[in-house]
Amino acid sequence: MASPLLSVRGLSVALTNRGPDRSLVSDVSFDLHEREVLGIIGESGSGKTVLSRALVNWIKPPLRISAGSVLYRGRDLLQLPPREMQRLHGREIGYVGANPGVALDPTLPVGHQIVEKLRAVEPEVSDREAKERVLKLLDAVRIPSARRRFDEFPFQFSGGMMQRALIVDALVSNPAFLVADNITQPLDVTVAAQTLRLLRDLQKDFKTAVIFISSSLGTIHEIADDVLVLEAGRAVEHQRLDALLRTPEHPYTRRLIEKVPRIWDAAMQGSQVPHESEPILRVRDIAKTYHVRDRRSLFAKRSVQAVRGVSFDVMRGENFGIVGESGCGKSTLSRLLSRIEAPDEGEIRFKGKDVAHLSSREMLSLRKGFQLILQDPFNAIPNHFPIGRTIAEPLLIHGMKGKREVRERVLSAMDEAGLGRSLYDSLPVGLSAGQRQRVNIARAMVLEPELLILDETLSALDAVEQAKLLDLFENLQAKHRITYIYISHDLAMVRRVCTRIAVMYLGRVVELADNRTMFFDPGHPYTRALLSAVPAIEERPYAAERYLLEGEPPDPVDIPAGCTFRSRCPFAFERCEREDPRLYQRDAANLSACHLVDPADRRADLAFAISARSVS
Amino acid sequence: MVFALDFFARRLGQGAVIVLLVAFLIFTLLRIVPGDPVRIILGPMTPPSVMEQTARELGLRDPIPVQFFGYLGHVLRGDLGHSFIRSAQGGNTGGSRGDTTHENQNRASVAGLILHTLPYTLQLAGMGVLFALLIAFPLGLAAGLNAGRWPDKIALYASSVMVSLPNIWLGVVFILLFSAKTGWLPAIGYKGFAYTILPALVLAIELAPVMMRSIAVSVAGNVLENYVDVGEVRGLSRWMIVTRHVIRNAAIPLLNLFGVQLIGMLLGGLFVVEYIFSYPGLGLLTINSVFQRDFPVIQAVAILASCILVAINMLVDFAATNIDRRLQY
Amino acid sequence: MVAEIALTSAPSRGAAKGGLTAAMLQMAWRAVEFRIALFVFAALVLLSLVGPFVFHVSATDFNIMQRFLPPMPLGGSSWPHVLGTDQLGRDLFVRSLIGLRNALFIGITSVVGMFVVGSAIGLTAGYMGRWADLVLMRITDAQMSIPVVILAITILGVSRPTPASIIAVLILAGWPAYARVTRSVTLAERQKEYVRAAKILGASDLRIVVLHIAPNILPPAAFVAVLDVARMMIFEAIFGFIGIGIQPPTPTFGTIIADGTQYLLNAWWITTAPGLLLAITLASINIMGGTLERARNKILQGIG
Repeated sequence: MASPLLSVRGLSVALTNRGPDRSLVSDVSFDLHEREVLGIIGESGSGKTVLSRALVNWIKPPLRISAGSVLYRGRDLLQLPPREMQRLHGREIGYVGANPGVALDPTLPVGHQIVEKLRAVEPEVSDREAKERVLKLLDAVRIPSARRRFDEFPFQFSGGMMQRALIVDALVSNPAFLVADNITQPLDVTVAAQTLRLLRDLQKDFKTAVIFISSSLGTIHEIADDVLVLEAGRAVEHQRLDALLRTPEHPYTRRLIEKVPRIWDAAMQGSQVPHESEPILRVRDIAKTYHVRDRRSLFAKRSVQAVRGVSFDVMRGENFGIVGESGCGKSTLSRLLSRIEAPDEGEIRFKGKDVAHLSSREMLSLRKGFQLILQDPFNAIPNHFPIGRTIAEPLLIHGMKGKREVRERVLSAMDEAGLGRSLYDSLPVGLSAGQRQRVNIARAMVLEPELLILDETLSALDAVEQAKLLDLFENLQAKHRITYIYISHDLAMVRRVCTRIAVMYLGRVVELADNRTMFFDPGHPYTRALLSAVPAIEERPYAAERYLLEGEPPDPVDIPAGCTFRSRCPFAFERCEREDPRLYQRDAANLSACHLVDPADRRADLAFAISARSVS
Repeated sequence: MVFALDFFARRLGQGAVIVLLVAFLIFTLLRIVPGDPVRIILGPMTPPSVMEQTARELGLRDPIPVQFFGYLGHVLRGDLGHSFIRSAQGGNTGGSRGDTTHENQNRASVAGLILHTLPYTLQLAGMGVLFALLIAFPLGLAAGLNAGRWPDKIALYASSVMVSLPNIWLGVVFILLFSAKTGWLPAIGYKGFAYTILPALVLAIELAPVMMRSIAVSVAGNVLENYVDVGEVRGLSRWMIVTRHVIRNAAIPLLNLFGVQLIGMLLGGLFVVEYIFSYPGLGLLTINSVFQRDFPVIQAVAILASCILVAINMLVDFAATNIDRRLQY
Repeated sequence: MVAEIALTSAPSRGAAKGGLTAAMLQMAWRAVEFRIALFVFAALVLLSLVGPFVFHVSATDFNIMQRFLPPMPLGGSSWPHVLGTDQLGRDLFVRSLIGLRNALFIGITSVVGMFVVGSAIGLTAGYMGRWADLVLMRITDAQMSIPVVILAITILGVSRPTPASIIAVLILAGWPAYARVTRSVTLAERQKEYVRAAKILGASDLRIVVLHIAPNILPPAAFVAVLDVARMMIFEAIFGFIGIGIQPPTPTFGTIIADGTQYLLNAWWITTAPGLLLAITLASINIMGGTLERARNKILQGIG
């Protein structure tokens, strides 16, 4: 093989803050060849971002490169004078990071900034030529109406669109290699899968070598040729991808592979509590529309239809899942369910009582029965109260007086949530995310609720902590017969715990199915698209080539007539244009909002049969 | 375009409400605090019956809302009224002359008084802001770009010292040092452009520390933004990032500060500085008018001041929405 | 990268017990200039409280024999007239100390007042939103667009100015700035998760504002208010200079400086020396306030 493009030897980076140096990356060595895609996998805190920055000589105090070399075409990047290095940045070395939203100046149009960059690294290119090149690439990454988008501002781009624009920004100068640090991490699954596919295509067209850094083995699996495994700043293993998965050598790699959540190979372990016939929560046709100012005409307003007629029942003792990508209306739904806001239409009945028409006193007493636990463990609890006081707050709000009694209740809630009693008087400063989430749980549990809504409660936690809390939830359920509603974008977690699942798209439930049906025989094309996009290392029943969607959901302001999914649906036919599908009953337990499963439509039967056959 | 129309329609409406409120506030305040202007107009020796008659003629005995709406009607027709005290020929009339009646026709028109003094004040204000910017911009920028290092420290000390110098004291010290002792610059009154320099410097030293700190904070905050860091690895030079992006972004909070705080400070500073230096501008006119209970002048100046503030606020906000389009949403 | 490092080295970030307030104080204390300024300020306050009793010199009695004594190191000066005497032979140092005491009293009281009024209005407007916000903010705008000096001379120009009326005027002129800042922070705070969490628990609006939002946002604002104490002291001096401050014979910086201007050429120290004392006091306050403000900005920006 020819000499490598990039040759890294003994690279080490240290943190030189107060106190002794702490090594974040130690003695990493590898080669990157032309046109190769090298995946670097590491858990959060493994130093992978620091490594990715060291590879392009972009390390700043308090970090310091303590040893090693990065030879690029024979020159050590780490020894180059700053001027030389700056000439390589952006020109021969591209970098795309994990925060597309804040990577560009928010006050200037995206296209103009890419042109500015291109002209900075290639001053000989004229303005017009630069603009043409950028437009061509924006088209190539399938940014719709690129000419208009060229003059739009970063805040007008969605996360996925912005990440594509940044890929354009990195590739426009045709660099020799590209470092992509966790670029799909902030994106929704379908958008992330699209972005990966795009990057792979471009990499082939441009013959660029790529270092692809990620914390998800499933994602690396989609793109890399070789994989380097990083544990606590050390490279513990380096193999071809398939070999690594088949025959991992290092125990850490084995653990890593085991930890990847399985969707289809796993069994469901969730709630086993027998269902009752009477639902604890009954939601009927709720809708919520927000009004925002319209900037295109004088004094006009635009209506954003966040939730458009959602109905479902949640049975006592079950785990009900609500999944969907950003903008599907699940956070609005969570606000409606927790009664922070009232729906415009429809009703929510908790234990038979309509929560919309209660006096504030009745509402307060009903609140004890259902609680919501939020996603962000750092902002959800006040920093200026001791932990015990925070957990006591709901009791005080609900009028409990006796000091001893409150203390007892708080302490027993802390026991249940797995918080040490010694934390009672300490401030939350210094607690880990997991511990903070336990404070949240204790604060909800102290009211002895019957229904807990978990709004992305576990999303901010790592896999280990997540598993522990899931066990905790299971224990609490066994003990108190609590009903859970999991609102999440994490399909693997939902697969593990939920008995029934609602899939949301653009403010609607498009599929309502039990766990098995949802993952093995979904009725809606969107559900299949979701399943095809989940990063995974196992064999999946829905291949991305066939089911993955192009584009992004339509703007919830201008919702097209007919089926809202039609514009992205590979199976759309003429009825979808005319008629908005309602939720059709597929069998006793499962519903789908797709004409393909409408029992009354014979042609639909046929089409469904065809699509079903092509799946198997 | 639609945005601009919408913006100005809204803001002009709000601005009108604010000016109206200010006018009403000052109008009422003047009439409820003790001190009868008629006594000053006519002098303390005037018999009470004459005083009552004059007061009635001037409308000062009507209920306050009646007076206010009457006044408002005149203002809307472009008539700011006549001074109680100053004669049309210039100079004060007033009690000392022993007049027994008060004729509006002999009194200076308020609009004329303002138009006469305003140019001096604008000149002083312009010079003051210019000096302040000359001090604050380079220091503030250097401090912001080098947060935590020596330029930052120097800016902190310089601004702490400047903000600690009371303008009345500084004015007197400047007069002592640069005028009385050395004769370098003229100081009292106005007989030419040079008379503006010392008061403008005092004004500048009052404004500069606030500007400097805001520039430093705003620039330092922007340097920490991710796009600056990323810009480097995208291949932009430090110089490009600072001149094309950081300064642009830092300008938004600065514009905001300018509209909200600095204009208020500038107006307040002008009054005091003009008083110290006997500079014949709007500020001196106002202070004298207050001591003479010359209601029409005080009201007009207050309305003018709030109009200026509202207008500048509006323009500044509009400029900000043009720099950062997110503010339009 | 910053985020990852911040997470991996989390303990150093949250090291200060008691959160933001304590962290700000700790960070400010680490700066040498803060400690010097605090020392100077404490010394001056002490001096202004006990000085007039220690020196056994009246601040108001005339002494024609000792007119125009220059300040200490200069020839012709005499103990205990450290800063010399004025045109009536009154000791300038004691007069300045009494002036300082009054200025400090007025400055601190008025800032506390405007902080309380402004924060209450800002919290209400920011949390309630809608029409309450609209009405309160328009009033704030109107109040802000009347220059302090116009407001002050209109009110104080005629009625006999007393410390109470001066403080009232300063509060009247100063509250809108606090209302604006508090409102904008409250608007941002209202969106935060902990407010949502409290709502879900069933907390009333008043409870959320007083118990949850206010303790989070007021302490940082309060520290920066230190800077306003200095500003208000300057206003007090300006009022005295124009003749609408505390009335003679009680000495204030403004009247001392104004009286001295007539003798500027022969007895320059009457104006300059007390002014210098005021400037030093203000500088110590401003350095403390400035350091606290910087500490707050740094912490809010997540460094340190």
